[in-house]
Amino acid sequence: MTVSPDDDFAAAEYALGTLGASERAALAARRLREADLDEAIRDWETRLAPLAEAAPEIEPPRDRLPAIEARIRGASLNAPEISSVVALERSIRRWRATAIAASLVAALLAVGFAARETSRPSNPREYVAILQKDAASPAFEVTVNLDKQELTVRPVAAQAPPGKAYELWLIDAKLGARSLGVIGDGPRGANLSAYDPSVVAGATYAVTVEPPGGSPTGQPSGAPVFVGKLIPVTP
Amino acid sequence: LRRVATRDETAFASLYKQTSAKLYGVVARIHNRSDVAADVLQETYVRIWDKAGEFDPARGSALGWMATIARNRALDEARRVRPASLEDQPESFEPAAEDIDPLAARERSEGLARLIECLMGLDEEKRAVVLLAYYRGLSREALAKRFGRPVPTIKTWLHRSLAQLRDCLAS
Repeated sequence: MTVSPDDDFAAAEYALGTLGASERAALAARRLREADLDEAIRDWETRLAPLAEAAPEIEPPRDRLPAIEARIRGASLNAPEISSVVALERSIRRWRATAIAASLVAALLAVGFAARETSRPSNPREYVAILQKDAASPAFEVTVNLDKQELTVRPVAAQAPPGKAYELWLIDAKLGARSLGVIGDGPRGANLSAYDPSVVAGATYAVTVEPPGGSPTGQPSGAPVFVGKLIPVTP
Repeated sequence: LRRVATRDETAFASLYKQTSAKLYGVVARIHNRSDVAADVLQETYVRIWDKAGEFDPARGSALGWMATIARNRALDEARRVRPASLEDQPESFEPAAEDIDPLAARERSEGLARLIECLMGLDEEKRAVVLLAYYRGLSREALAKRFGRPVPTIKTWLHRSLAQLRDCLAS
């Protein structure tokens, strides 16, 4: 195990269930990207799991099996039969490929610019993140210009469920989850001047499903459905 | 569970019959509203169906694995509905007598016996904090209210108790 003592404690509290909404959401987002942290959480879940044996049984109020069977049959009609792990690995590979392709394109563009405009500032510090579901195609593209402290988010293929809205969050290990606003159908900007550039560059960006107008509590209402981290687009 | 991983619906139905009361016992103690608890139970079994292939017997029992999924669904839901959840009314749902005492469990798997041994090493109040967090899904804030201590104290207790449990289980 290679996580820091702080992260191991956070993993323990995640498994025990004592984290508040924002810390829990932050850790849920990070574990998708950080294999060591994910492993630490699993280790803690394994350590505590025997406790469940001691919980006395309670008969569910009515038989939920038919509803569950309907759900899993519906799911297998349109889902390919690959395990989620394989799907996740593929999705990460695809994400890496997309990210590499994006930086290549950006590098080429930068070269093109440099050839034409030699007076261009040398370190524009632009970043991009592709936010994805664990096993789906890219859903949102987040671009950040650190010099202008501006963020732009563009929906690529995502549409919020009926009567719900997507909300974008900056998630930092120390700050927790901070809202960057509700995402509509088109591109949307957000000002990042409240955050330190190192926080902006290192944060996880996540999208959650919220009531229209955004989370009523100012904290994510549930686990993120799309997550990603920034990578530099300029060499 | 192995047969469920091969998309065997008969095996899944039998797994549900054998385990749903157990998992509902886990979920319903975190959610006192039965409609919410039943929805969480439903989500849990859909997830078990989806992820059965990921179960690794080397990491513990099948029931423990399923209970972990159930607890995670229940906790996600508990944090989601926070404004009206048990955290605001910690007294309304739990007569103390109903608290689960694993130390009194007569049937103990090897894993549970070992964990109980380690829990015995914590003093009574700190053990109660860990058990309430596990069985009731209480956050640090809710535990602080319940035990009449500041949140940082609870955090320190948890920190020490969990470190002690980890070291004890590893020894």
